[in-house]
Amino acid sequence: MKANAKSKQILAAAHKPARKVKFQADIAPADGLTMRLLKEELQLASNTDFLSDALALFRWAVSERKQGHQILSESATGERRVLMFPRLERVAPDLALPRVEIEWTKRELHSLAKLASAAEANRPTEALIRAMRD
Amino acid sequence: MAILIRRLQASDHVDGFDCADAPLNNYLKRHAWANQDKVSIGVTHVAVDEGAPQTVIGYFTLAMASVPRDSFPRKYVRGLPAYALPLVLLARLAVDHRFAGRGLGHALIAEAFRIALRVSGEVGCRCIVTDAYRDRAGWYERYGFVPIEGTSEGPSQRMFLDIRTVRAAVHNP
Repeated sequence: MKANAKSKQILAAAHKPARKVKFQADIAPADGLTMRLLKEELQLASNTDFLSDALALFRWAVSERKQGHQILSESATGERRVLMFPRLERVAPDLALPRVEIEWTKRELHSLAKLASAAEANRPTEALIRAMRD
Repeated sequence: MAILIRRLQASDHVDGFDCADAPLNNYLKRHAWANQDKVSIGVTHVAVDEGAPQTVIGYFTLAMASVPRDSFPRKYVRGLPAYALPLVLLARLAVDHRFAGRGLGHALIAEAFRIALRVSGEVGCRCIVTDAYRDRAGWYERYGFVPIEGTSEGPSQRMFLDIRTVRAAVHNP
């Protein structure tokens, strides 16, 4: 009997819905208006539905771009427009850059070796930290 | 003004670009696309305004390079990896002078750093090197680039930024 009760408890825990994640965002007034118009056009009743659909679309776009696929629209006449979205380009697979030869003077190589072999790198500057956060 | 930064495309309008520097204008207009598409010796990323998404208002070009280990002075070789030193070359960076002072250069170099970081994670890269105009070296120093000594006399100064410094900037609390 005890074992049966325990397995029932485990089953109940497994079927317990995961706790919902709360999400709050401050968006620009223009974006707020766009969101309201989109909700009306798409007949979405709530921000939750809006975010859920937007997430699904974004997840699909990321997964396509990750595979190297382009995302495009095609008009009835066959005119194609490719979506260019810098953040999506970050997941695109063509990461390798072409290789070039650089000429170095002896003194430059000396200086480069000294810099590159330093046990610890310099601390990032404020401008660099800002650049990586923006 | 919403700025997008993406790879250069064949259909981009580059003829009107003017950064007030003839070699940098010339590179974008005559060589950037061919170097990217045909001979693959550099990838150019361009900044465009969302309102005119084909008109280039800023750009930078990246390539990979490496320095053979045996070309370094012996006294430093022990502190270096046992292979050629891979690096990302920030070959060019320019902003149309009509859009100067709006943070476009900052946005471009930030994207170049992000790409270098991704490359370091995918194929390996120890540092970023650039040949900066001497009168612009101070701007690169703000981002942590340090001058490489021994650059021959000329308009440019070769500069170095450790990829570990860039990585630390991401994880900075």
